[in-house]
Amino acid sequence: MESRKIYNRIAILRKEKSLTRHELADKVGVNFQTIGYLEREEYNPSLDLAFRISKVFELPIDLIFSIEPLTPLSQLLTKK
Amino acid sequence: MEMRKSIKKRRIGIIITLLSLIGIVLIFEYCKIAEWNMFFMVTEIVLFIIFLASFVATFIKTGLWGFIHKPLTSLDEREIVLTGKSLRYAYSIFTVATLALLLYFAVTNTPIDMVLVVSLILFAHILPAVYIAWTEKEIYQDA
Repeated sequence: MESRKIYNRIAILRKEKSLTRHELADKVGVNFQTIGYLEREEYNPSLDLAFRISKVFELPIDLIFSIEPLTPLSQLLTKK
Repeated sequence: MEMRKSIKKRRIGIIITLLSLIGIVLIFEYCKIAEWNMFFMVTEIVLFIIFLASFVATFIKTGLWGFIHKPLTSLDEREIVLTGKSLRYAYSIFTVATLALLLYFAVTNTPIDMVLVVSLILFAHILPAVYIAWTEKEIYQDA
């Protein structure tokens, strides 16, 4: 079974927090290359890794990951 | 310090490594029928040196060899998936290649030599690293 592509906001959130790929990788316990793959949406994280990432960014999982292309956070805020 | 090698260079390295390995076996098999002479001896030695050099450049210096031999506990979830995938492909390719070779040797009634056996073991051992080097976009080595 082919898994669906999961979109995410990791790249933008990491830059917002001024973290390097190495720093984020250390915080969530993966290799820094895996962060690159996640940011390019070439790898779907496990639920455990998704929870660890959401903990680092202090945001709910559904704000970081989605099965549909994500709209920019700023656009979401202006809509509200 | 990180070392990075482009996918194109890695693929060229793989092709050179595998071709030199095949060349070593072919010359050895040919010289069993014909006679060993200076030309074949020199070619065999040159191919062996090319094999070693390309193997070191493509697999050792890029950190791939170390990656393939890392314990599972030190890999993250993506790396475990990648390692599993590489072993799966390597097993399939090795099985098909070995069966085809054994069939050829059985049909032609040719005895199997130690050089071929050693080359096949070596081939099986480098195949997972070959798969990763061939497919992975980024390979870094922390040196």
